[in-house]
Amino acid sequence: MSSIHLKALTKSFGNFEAIKQMDLMVRDGEFLALLGPSGCGKSTTMNIIAGMEAPSTGRVFFDERDVSDVPMTRRGVGFVFQNYAIFTHMNVRANLAYGLRMRGVGPAEIDRRVAAIAEFLQLTPFLDQPSAKLSVNILQRLAIGRSAIVEPAIFLLDEPLSNVDAAFRAVMRTELKHLQRQFKQTMVYVTHDQLEAMTMADRIAVMDHGVLQQVGTPLEVYNNPANIFVARFIGSPGMNLVPATLVERDGALLADLGAAGASRPLEAGLAAAARAAGAREVWFGFRPEGVNLAADGQGLAVTITFLERIGSRTIVHFDAAGTAGKAVFENDVPLAAGTVAQLVPADALVRLFDRQSGLAIGGA
Amino acid sequence: MRRSIGFEIFRYAAILLAVAITLVPIVWMLSMAFKPVAEWQATGANLTWWPKNPTLDNFRFIFGQSASGLIIALEKTAARPILSSLLSASFGTLIAMAAGTAAAYGLSRFRAGGNLPLALIQLRLFPPMAVMIPVMIMWTFLRLNDTWYGLALIYGIVTLPFAFWLMKTFFDEFPREIEEAALVEGCSRLRVFLKVTLPMMAAPLASSALFVFILNWSDYLIALLLTNREWATIPVYMASLSSSMTGQLYGAKAALGLIAAVPPVIAGIAIQRHLVRGLTFGALKQ
Amino acid sequence: MSTDAAKAPMSAADSDRKLGFYLTLPAQILVLFIALFPLLMQLYISLTDWSPLTGRGWWDAWAFWNTFGNYVELTVDARWWGALWRTVLVMLICVPAEFLLGLALATLFIDNFRGKRVFYSIILMPMMVVPAVAGYMFFMLFQSGGPINNIASALSGQNVAIAWLSNPNLAFVAVVVADIWQWTPLMFLILLAGLVGVPDDQLKAATLLGANWWQRFTTIMLPRMKGIIVIAVAIRLIENFKIFDTLYIMTAGGPGVATETISVYIYKLTTNDLAWGYVAAIALVILISLSIVLGIAISRQARAGEGAA
Repeated sequence: MSSIHLKALTKSFGNFEAIKQMDLMVRDGEFLALLGPSGCGKSTTMNIIAGMEAPSTGRVFFDERDVSDVPMTRRGVGFVFQNYAIFTHMNVRANLAYGLRMRGVGPAEIDRRVAAIAEFLQLTPFLDQPSAKLSVNILQRLAIGRSAIVEPAIFLLDEPLSNVDAAFRAVMRTELKHLQRQFKQTMVYVTHDQLEAMTMADRIAVMDHGVLQQVGTPLEVYNNPANIFVARFIGSPGMNLVPATLVERDGALLADLGAAGASRPLEAGLAAAARAAGAREVWFGFRPEGVNLAADGQGLAVTITFLERIGSRTIVHFDAAGTAGKAVFENDVPLAAGTVAQLVPADALVRLFDRQSGLAIGGA
Repeated sequence: MRRSIGFEIFRYAAILLAVAITLVPIVWMLSMAFKPVAEWQATGANLTWWPKNPTLDNFRFIFGQSASGLIIALEKTAARPILSSLLSASFGTLIAMAAGTAAAYGLSRFRAGGNLPLALIQLRLFPPMAVMIPVMIMWTFLRLNDTWYGLALIYGIVTLPFAFWLMKTFFDEFPREIEEAALVEGCSRLRVFLKVTLPMMAAPLASSALFVFILNWSDYLIALLLTNREWATIPVYMASLSSSMTGQLYGAKAALGLIAAVPPVIAGIAIQRHLVRGLTFGALKQ
Repeated sequence: MSTDAAKAPMSAADSDRKLGFYLTLPAQILVLFIALFPLLMQLYISLTDWSPLTGRGWWDAWAFWNTFGNYVELTVDARWWGALWRTVLVMLICVPAEFLLGLALATLFIDNFRGKRVFYSIILMPMMVVPAVAGYMFFMLFQSGGPINNIASALSGQNVAIAWLSNPNLAFVAVVVADIWQWTPLMFLILLAGLVGVPDDQLKAATLLGANWWQRFTTIMLPRMKGIIVIAVAIRLIENFKIFDTLYIMTAGGPGVATETISVYIYKLTTNDLAWGYVAAIALVILISLSIVLGIAISRQARAGEGAA
């Protein structure tokens, strides 16, 4: 099991910069989610780690070894493809044995190891069945087993759950996480589903347009997003961002929300950071959870546009002087579409982002 | 996949070798077609891959203009064989496409036709020579012998399997929703076929027709047995061009061969994408 | 207005079936036309010693009745067995050669590279050349003063003046070369389609598991192409069995009978000897044999289809 270190990585396809500049460290035994929208460069990063693509510049290290020039046949990378890429013309046993066969391992040894891993992954009853028509659940285990049997240094998974029924997905997620813990495998897991990343990963690396936005634990990324992209992307729904101007009044720093509502005083630590950064035009950010109804004249004055009932809670869609936002409440919240209301976010949970750069002000 | 420089060099070398081998016969015939009589039999050091004095004499010759150096004028020019090939191949294609397309639609949409698919495979399986005697007799009886339309009829029958299988796979791929929408609007099945489906199949129809045309145009054996003085096709006429008096009329035959070979090659390259489908009776698509 | 059952409008399914019937009718008629009379007629005259040389029409063939005489004669016809043997030999040499060359060439065309489209079109050309014209091309090429000897001379440094087409063995070689030239592109075309159809993911997965090119080729690509390979080889075997145009124009079956295949022999019997009764017997033997082979192949396919389920 190795750590992965991506140093000064860039990748261009002709004029298109898929990865603009990337430095990333994945710790030994860690489950890292590479998260981002389509086209952000996460799959390209994966391919570079695996050796399927060469970076335009930069190096790839496994532990201390520079593997940038090692061909993909010898890098020792386990890879689970989106559609598993099972050798459907072979049976389960042959799939599992493949990597060992390619290394010239003796038949007796192969049998032993195949039996062991099949036992571990509960594939034993399927060993001699053709692999083509098995259920997705079994295929996932087979894909993992096929890669794991050659004891790779790292494991890469390319959105393996995207083709799975929503109902199954939760089950398979848990299984995957469990297997990772058992194998103590360094795993890089590519996904566009932030919920998946949040539930499975030890750390999340958020990417957008070829640039690494933030790397941190799920809680870090959720509570202290590094910029507005992460703020909006993480969380379901994402953070609300209202344009505001910081003003001094009576010795305190306030966020003037303009037409959206009354000015909000900033919490001490945040105010200090804002003063230090000399911030003026900002995004006033707060999560949809942790919002309270308030009396008139306090907080944001919003018009409720729409109530979305998702069963356990109600998501209230609102409009605050032109800025759309959402708030999450219990199902008995006394609000209706078309009415106005006052919403107050919890002060400690407010985050500020510079309007120019999009970067967080202050930070964890 | 990244390839090493060594492999790329090997690849180009191998492909260039294949291309060279492919082109040798073609280039030779090309050059022979433009060589004057004096160069036809050049051997050894005199043998050139390109005519020293290129000329159009060979082409003039086969069209009846006796040119310098050629001893004997032909009693018949190549004009009529070219016409014969054109007429028989075109109308043969028409027959094959009409019957084949209709039957293909019948099978694709209505599962009609019974044993037709099997019969058509058998038709291609058997050597033509095995049925030519009865065909010769039938054709003579029906006064179709040595006519372009008699030839067109047999061509239509013999290439019917290709037209059928090609169009059947195309019909199978054609979305039924479009037809169903028209049916819902009150069109009859037949109208849907003629007014909706066929017009939208113009491209597959054209490709299939070209494919069948190439096959018909390329025939030799059937024309050899069924035509004679009046309506010999190009390949038959070509074979008859040499005589003991003139010896081998290399240049003239090469010119004729060129005329015969160029249309199918161009047509073939135009329908490249569909070649696999046609040649494997629709079993594979590209 | 009560509807009388006899006058009830046809159901949609019925009118569909009627339309389907009429659509397939022209094709059915054409096939019947070419199948019915020829079969019956050949059955008839195969049992006679008739020939147009006798001056009488084929319906009078009964006058030359010799029952199974033709069939018996076929079994001891050395020339027939020679032709059959030569045909099989051609098939056994040409088809594997075309397959291997086509496969090798196809593997080079899997990825993209500069000039791929142009090279691809050029390499396909031979199979689009009219076979009779190809026959003439190779006739010219293999002349003793011709380009092939010219190239051989250039390569070997000596004066090569082989008389290919007058030498029984070399004429056979020439005919085989012509066939391979013309039909390797067909194998190339079909096999390339098969190679390209192998899922890229699986190839990548295999590579990551340590498989080198040759291992991927033998463990992933070829096994997945089994169906396509069978089709390609079957099609070529069938067409090669019928070989005529190119061969006949190159050698007319000669020198002697050195390159005489089944089709050439039958052709000569038909046009030179005019032994039409005999030819009919041969034709029927071929027809029946091929039908049996086809039947076996189809039933094997059907059983394979069921077995896989």
